[in-house]
Amino acid sequence: MTAALQMNGVHKWFASHHVLDGFSLRLEKGEVLGLLGPNGCGKSTVLNIVCKLLSYDDGQVHLMGESLSELGYRARGLVGLCTQHCALYPDLFPAENLHFFARLYGLSEKECKQRVAELMSDFELESFATTQVGQLSGGWKQRLHLAVSLIHRPKLLVLDEPTAAVDVEARMQLWRLIEGLRDNGTTILLTSHHLAEAERLCSRVALMRNGKVIAEGSIPELLSQIPGKALAKVQSEDKEAINQRAATLGWQVRQHADQISLLLPSTLSLREVVDALDGTKVSAVSVQAVKLEDAYLELVGDSSLIV
Amino acid sequence: MHSSHLLWVQTLAVAQRLLLEQWRQKRGLIFWAVFPSAMMLLFGLVYAHNASMRAGLDAAAAGILVGAALFFSCLGGTVAVIAAERERGTLPRLLTTPLYPAAYFIGVVIAQMLLALMQVVMLYSIALLIGAKYQGSLLLGGLILLLSVFSYVGMGFFLGARFARRSEEVVVALSAIGVPLLVLGGTFFPLEIMPQGMQAVAQINPMLHMNQAFKGVAAYGMDFHELRFELSFLLVFCCVSLALGIHSYRYLLGTDKS
Repeated sequence: MTAALQMNGVHKWFASHHVLDGFSLRLEKGEVLGLLGPNGCGKSTVLNIVCKLLSYDDGQVHLMGESLSELGYRARGLVGLCTQHCALYPDLFPAENLHFFARLYGLSEKECKQRVAELMSDFELESFATTQVGQLSGGWKQRLHLAVSLIHRPKLLVLDEPTAAVDVEARMQLWRLIEGLRDNGTTILLTSHHLAEAERLCSRVALMRNGKVIAEGSIPELLSQIPGKALAKVQSEDKEAINQRAATLGWQVRQHADQISLLLPSTLSLREVVDALDGTKVSAVSVQAVKLEDAYLELVGDSSLIV
Repeated sequence: MHSSHLLWVQTLAVAQRLLLEQWRQKRGLIFWAVFPSAMMLLFGLVYAHNASMRAGLDAAAAGILVGAALFFSCLGGTVAVIAAERERGTLPRLLTTPLYPAAYFIGVVIAQMLLALMQVVMLYSIALLIGAKYQGSLLLGGLILLLSVFSYVGMGFFLGARFARRSEEVVVALSAIGVPLLVLGGTFFPLEIMPQGMQAVAQINPMLHMNQAFKGVAAYGMDFHELRFELSFLLVFCCVSLALGIHSYRYLLGTDKS
């Protein structure tokens, strides 16, 4: 089956800086793929290449089975981009913004009207029909921004940290909208600094470091790469004693910032963990199932993304 | 949709959006109308009520239209459009759409032409009320205004793409560069009252020739043949401005992409 997006061995240099180093990725139609990695790892460069905002120096990029370079201008009609910065016209009303972009994509006047009405309804923007976009709250602006990126029914929706600049309530609402798109079969490539966002929205996740994908798969597949079924987070002044006890028990130890994490080979209860660490001056301990955050730390080894 | 039809649809979309934005910015619209109107009224009244200067009223009206009003409206307006696209981050968003660069460029030109037409009607209404007269060919006057608008928009793209990063810079840059050019271009005072040195420097100011061309037809009823030097200069300046503008616009697209 033809992939929605296929990138093979893509390289990109900015002067002497090798931003993408043989980047490869496959995104199936109808899939939501989260691209995660620390700042500067090349995520935005990938998205900019897909949106034809940047060229690439080497490798192959295919969109809906056609080479991106051969697609030329047509590629722009296949992709919709929504970034965290609301790039809209503040003096226009929401429908006027939608209508303007619809015309740029070449929708006929009849199609424009239908699509604008449909998106105004789907994104519950009708109550702000006569409010200039500059007067909307950040959450509603971002909602409109997402609607604009869908105006031409793109085959691939690219979301670049779509909820990074909105409050918690707006984020939840945007998540529900994106879930709706996912459930309707929209193919989405998403980057985010919220691992909870990726966990909730994505069917598959690719982890990036130094310009290439270092691990990818569904969330259970990524979790299976962690040498543990559960995680005990421990606070102790005597870290050495914890390390020694963990070694005795055959548990692996991970330390990120001041946090000691013990990877448990099986799911143990809190009582069992406390008993196992008895005599090691533990001041606090909690046990939880491994999450995407733990897989990220294990595989990428960078805690800067964790939100 | 056929590519030429899409180009036309996109051009109209850009022009309509710019005009709608202008209409919605009520305060800006008021200043857009008040500044040249006040200039026309003040200078017109000075010329009209001073017996020794009355003969210069027609030329003053033409100079204020081409020199002051269209300069700030078309050149300043274009620079402001580009600075605003940059500030709002809408330029990269436009680059993700199939918008033809030519459609954007022509859309801005059309919007500025319509705004210029409104300025012409508004200012000449005031000028005629004060007692000024339009002496020459409307067709030739229209051609000069059209070339002037193209030149201003081209220069606007050049300055906007290369220099204007923020809206605040637009006002400062236009004042710093524009006002001396207007004075040296004979917009407010005739060239003859300037010192010899200033007159010599003014000869290399394109705005002088723009002013002289329109003053020639509007105030002195000169024909195409009599204005051939000014028209040739204006045509060359227009081509250079548009080339610079298009080149700078391409530069802008390249820098904003990366």
